[in-house]
Amino acid sequence: MLEQLLPQLVNGLTLGVIYALIAVGYTMVYGVIELINFAHGEVYMFGAFLCVTFITAVGMPFYLAIVAAMGCCALIGMFLDLVAYKPLRKAPRLAALITAIGMSIFLQNLAMVIWGSRPLPFVQSAVPAYLNETALSFSGVYLTWLQLFIFAVTTAMMLGLMFIITRTRIGTAMRALAQNKTAAALMGINVNFVIAFTFALGSAMGAVAGILVSVYYNSLYPTMGYVAGVKAFAAAVLGGIGSVPGAMLGGIVLGVAEALGAGYVSSLYRDGVAYAVMIAVIIFRPSGLLGKAVIDKA
Amino acid sequence: MGKIKPLLAVLALGLLAYPLLPFANEYLLHVVILVMIYMVLAMGLNIVPGFCGLLDLGFVGFYGIGAYTAGLLTVHYGVSFWLIVPLAALNGALWGVLLGAPTLRLTGDYFAIVTFGFSELVVLFLTNEIWLTRGPLGLPGIDPVNVNLEFLHPDWFWEFVGEAPYFYLALFMVLAVYFVLRRVEDSRLGRAWFAIREDPLAAASCGVDILTYKVIAFAISAGIGAVGGAFFARWQLFLSPDMFKFWESFLVLCMVVLGGLGNIHGALIGAVIMVCLGEVLREALFVAGLPPEVRFLFYGLIMVLIMRFKPAGFFPAIAATARGNPLLAALAERIEKTYGERRETHS
Repeated sequence: MLEQLLPQLVNGLTLGVIYALIAVGYTMVYGVIELINFAHGEVYMFGAFLCVTFITAVGMPFYLAIVAAMGCCALIGMFLDLVAYKPLRKAPRLAALITAIGMSIFLQNLAMVIWGSRPLPFVQSAVPAYLNETALSFSGVYLTWLQLFIFAVTTAMMLGLMFIITRTRIGTAMRALAQNKTAAALMGINVNFVIAFTFALGSAMGAVAGILVSVYYNSLYPTMGYVAGVKAFAAAVLGGIGSVPGAMLGGIVLGVAEALGAGYVSSLYRDGVAYAVMIAVIIFRPSGLLGKAVIDKA
Repeated sequence: MGKIKPLLAVLALGLLAYPLLPFANEYLLHVVILVMIYMVLAMGLNIVPGFCGLLDLGFVGFYGIGAYTAGLLTVHYGVSFWLIVPLAALNGALWGVLLGAPTLRLTGDYFAIVTFGFSELVVLFLTNEIWLTRGPLGLPGIDPVNVNLEFLHPDWFWEFVGEAPYFYLALFMVLAVYFVLRRVEDSRLGRAWFAIREDPLAAASCGVDILTYKVIAFAISAGIGAVGGAFFARWQLFLSPDMFKFWESFLVLCMVVLGGLGNIHGALIGAVIMVCLGEVLREALFVAGLPPEVRFLFYGLIMVLIMRFKPAGFFPAIAATARGNPLLAALAERIEKTYGERRETHS
C-alpha cells in the first residue's frame, strides 16, 4: 500500500494545480461581482477544444495554439459577462445565478453541436514528443516532462496572477471592487471594465487548465467542464471563496485528497470526494481555509 | 363569461373521458402523464426558489430518492403503492431536513452548490452501491400500482394496466399537490416564505424564524419531489441512475422559471410547454441528425433570455392583477421613487 503513496501524491498534485488554475477563475469573479459563474467550467472546455481546432484546422504549432486558445477564451469570458451578467447587475441574485446555469448548459450543448458528443483524443502529433518522456524517476515515481511542464506553467501563471493582483493598477482596482463597489466607482474606477478584465483573466487561465488536462488524459469531450467546474468550485470554497491564494491551496488539497481517496478508499467515489469535501467545508467551515466568513446577514 | 363556462365544462369533461375512449392514443396519454409528473415536480421545486428565493440545483436528488425508495420497497418487500407514497415522501423530507438544516443558514449561492453536490452524490450512490440498487444495470421488475381489497372480498384486486388508470392517478396527484400548495401559499407558512424571499432582514425583525421556515420549505419541496419519484417508479416499472442526473433538475428549474418563479399556475404551464417542447425537439433533432441531448441548448437559451427580458416569467398572473389595482399601482410607484435607489445599493 505504502509504495503507492508517492505516485498517488504526484498524481494528485498534478490534478490539484490544474484545479487551482480553474478555481482562481471562480474566486476572482466571485470576488468582484459575488456571482458563481457556473459557465466557467464551459470556458475551460472551450479552451481545450479551441486549442485542438487551432492545431488541426489552422495548423498552428502546439505552444502558439495554447496562446491563441487563451486569447479566444478571454474574449468568450468577456462576451459572457457582456451579454449575460452585465444586464443583471441590479437584478436579484437568483436571476443572475439562473442565468449562469443557463449559460453553462447552453455553451456545453453548443460545443456538442460544433464538435460532436464523443470524446476526442488530443492531437498527439502536434504535442512535442519530449513531453511524454520520463524526466525524473525516484523511488518508484516516474515524472514525465508533461507533468513538469504542467507544474511550470501553473506556477508561472499563478505568480503572474499574484503580480497582477498585488502590484498593478488594474489589480488594485480589482481588489477595491471586491471591497466596495460603490466606493471604488466613486474613486474613478471603471467598474465594468475591471469586471470584464477579471472575466478575461479568469477565462484565459481556465483555458490553459482545459488544454493541460486534455493533453494529460489525452481526451476531451463537451461535458468535461461540468465535473471539472464543480470540483474547481469545491476547491475555491475549500480555500475560501474570494481569496486567490485560498483557491490555489484549495485546488492542491482537493487534488491530493481525491487521488488518495481514489487510491485508498474507493476509485468509484473519485468524484464523490470533491462533493463530500465541498459539502463538509460549507457546513463546518464556510469561510474556507483562508477566506472570510460569508454567513447570511439576516 | 356565461357562455364560455359551459363550453369549458364540456371541454374538461371531454379531456377527462378521453383515456376511456377506444381510440385513445397510448403515446399521447404517455406524454400527458409525463406532463403531470413534471407538474408535480415543478410545483414542488417552485417552493424553494419561487417562494423562498433560494436556488435549488439538486431537486432531482429527492426525486431519485423517492423513486428508489418506491422501487426497492416494491421489489424486495412488495409494499403497497398507497403505503409507499407516504413513506417516500417522508424519506425525501428527511433528507431535505438533513441537508437543509446545516446549509440553509448560508447565503443562497452556497446553498445552490450544496444541493448540486448532494444530487450528484445521490447519483454516485445509486450507481455504485450495486448490492442495493443493481447500479447502472437498473432496477427492473417493479410491480405496477394495484388496488388490493382482498381482505373484503377475494376477487377485489385490480392491477393497473395500460396508461388510462395512471392518467387518473396522476391527475389526482396533481390536483392534490395543487390544492395543498394553494392553501399553504395563503397560510401563515406561505406568507412567512414570501417575507423571507422579499427581505430576510425585515422578516427576521418581524419575528419570522428564517432558518426553520427555510428548512420546512426545503423538506416539503423534497417530499413532493419524492412523491413524484414514487409515482414514476410504479409507472415506468424500471429505474436506472441515469434517470436522475443533473439535467432533470435543470429541466424542472426551467419549467419553474418559464412560468414565473413563485407562481403555481406558471409552474403548471411551464411543465406543459417544456415537456411538449422536449417531444418536438426530440423529433426535430433526429431529423437534423443531432444527438437528443442538444435540446438542452434551447433550454439553456430559454433560461438566459427569460431572466434577461421577462424575469417574472411568461405568466406573472398574481403580480399583474395586483399591479392592475390603481391604488396599489400608485403606492408601488411611490415606494419605488422613495426607496428604489436605496434598495439597489443595499442589495
